[in-house]
Amino acid sequence: MAVPKPDPQASGQMPRRSLLAWFSSIGLFGSAALAVISNLVFFKPRVTYSPSARFSIGKPDEFPPGTRIAREVDRVCVVRDGNRMAAISTTCTHLGCIVAISDTGFACPCHGSHYDQDGAVTGGPAPKALPWFKVTLAPNGELEVDKNSPVEPGTYFTV
Amino acid sequence: MSAPATKSPGLWTSVRELPSNVWSSIFRHPLPSNDLERSQTSFTNFFLHLHPVKVHRNTLRPVYTLGLGLISLFLFLILVVTGVLLMFYYVPSTTQAYDRMLDLRGTVAFGIFLRNMHRWSAHGMVAMVFLHMCRVFFTGAYKKPREFNWIIGVVLLLLTLFMSFTGYLLPWDQLAFWAITVGTSIAGYAPLVGSQIKFLLLGDTVVGQEALLRFYVLHVAVLPAILSVIVAIHFWRIRKDGGLSRPETVPAKTDSGVVQLRIEPGKRVFGLQGFVRGPFTKIGNVPDDSVYSWPNLLMAELFVFVLTVSIILVVSLAFNAPLEQPVNVMHPPNPAKAPWYFLGLQEMVSYSAFWGGIGVPTLFVVLLLFAPFIDRNPQGTGRWFARERLLANTIFMSLAVLNVIFIIIGTFFRGPNWTFVSPF
Repeated sequence: MAVPKPDPQASGQMPRRSLLAWFSSIGLFGSAALAVISNLVFFKPRVTYSPSARFSIGKPDEFPPGTRIAREVDRVCVVRDGNRMAAISTTCTHLGCIVAISDTGFACPCHGSHYDQDGAVTGGPAPKALPWFKVTLAPNGELEVDKNSPVEPGTYFTV
Repeated sequence: MSAPATKSPGLWTSVRELPSNVWSSIFRHPLPSNDLERSQTSFTNFFLHLHPVKVHRNTLRPVYTLGLGLISLFLFLILVVTGVLLMFYYVPSTTQAYDRMLDLRGTVAFGIFLRNMHRWSAHGMVAMVFLHMCRVFFTGAYKKPREFNWIIGVVLLLLTLFMSFTGYLLPWDQLAFWAITVGTSIAGYAPLVGSQIKFLLLGDTVVGQEALLRFYVLHVAVLPAILSVIVAIHFWRIRKDGGLSRPETVPAKTDSGVVQLRIEPGKRVFGLQGFVRGPFTKIGNVPDDSVYSWPNLLMAELFVFVLTVSIILVVSLAFNAPLEQPVNVMHPPNPAKAPWYFLGLQEMVSYSAFWGGIGVPTLFVVLLLFAPFIDRNPQGTGRWFARERLLANTIFMSLAVLNVIFIIIGTFFRGPNWTFVSPF
């Protein structure tokens, strides 16, 4: 070549090729990252088909005082003590098995966790107490349990 | 070739020679009868080119490898074949899956037999991959330059377990449902991302139709594809890392007149390949204690293949794969047990969900992955239980035995409510 090549380093400029290589790399790896993220978004379902977390359990009269009934489908135990009512989860906090009502409270068949009447852990590997859920009275006179709204254990709903 | 040979043969000759021409276009070489032909056959056949032309005698010693890696591969092949066949009758639907299991048992020709083969091969593969890892450790075969292949091997072990785990849900019986309920709950204990991972895996908050579909796709498409690619890399690296590990002492027979040549740049001219291959290149017909792969290695492989298939066939004839009651979301079996290879994990989980299910297993995997970089003692490679490797072998043996003990306790000594029971 007749024309001497200019030395970009000397003038403090980035060579054109390096600049283009940087842009291309950012474009390529950026697209790859976007593809990964959009796949993760794709995998997260927006609609689930499992039963609603909020459901009706019937009128208060159906539960005479002293009742402790495990509703297996809803995975809650409905408790009535006098005129106070509560819903305690029957999903074991250990690994998600369904706990059974026992003489002393609840017992899990999978890994031997035990809970007392209020769901506090009395033995086994369970890391925390069974949660209590909010109970409300719907306008139609039926009790509603909302499993998305845990309440402090010992919080009763007075009927 | 002389001029007359270029003359086109007549039509009749072409027809008469058609079979042999087709045959020789597929197989370039006849069955080899001398060393040159043995090399050519290994080089030019697609299925044989995985093999080196020659292998070290140590590679063929049954007591060195015990054939465990090969057995794992053949079990995987059996699993692919039987799995694809089972796919023709299986529907990943909560309402149909269990009925399809009953169909396999009752109406499909060889259905129960194929399912038995698939199930027992899956169990066998988990066991064999684990034993293969033990073999590699106790012979020190993970050391330089094979560190990366060891890491690939650990990944393959995890993939094998995940394959098994995803397949476990598909029959949609009580065993499947509760094992996966417990298993995915363990994933939920991972810090920060645990509940997210569980939700992505199940496609829902509980094990249901979405989970069955996801596990199915992972089991029949995603994981086998990943596993196949990584297995290919695993094999490729065996060749590139200098073949199977062997004792470090190489008898250099200088008195026989043949000198082992070393690559010394500048003194001789070598092909480019000779350089990139590094320390394993040998020049000339060096007495390196190796034999031709055809027929020595191939016969050994055939033997292991026939043995593996025979054992699976016999076991599948004798024992039926378990199928319990259809899923009842309300009533977990008591005790609800995971497959045997996860019972060590489940036993640990019964002490602490986080440490047993996430903490300790993660620590184990990290230790395994970094083993070649922690134990950098170059001695004792290529021999079982080398004295120089006493410490490393003792640590690994202790952890392996501990794992087996946990599995035995979980399998035989745990009864209802996971209380301690005596099997006797």
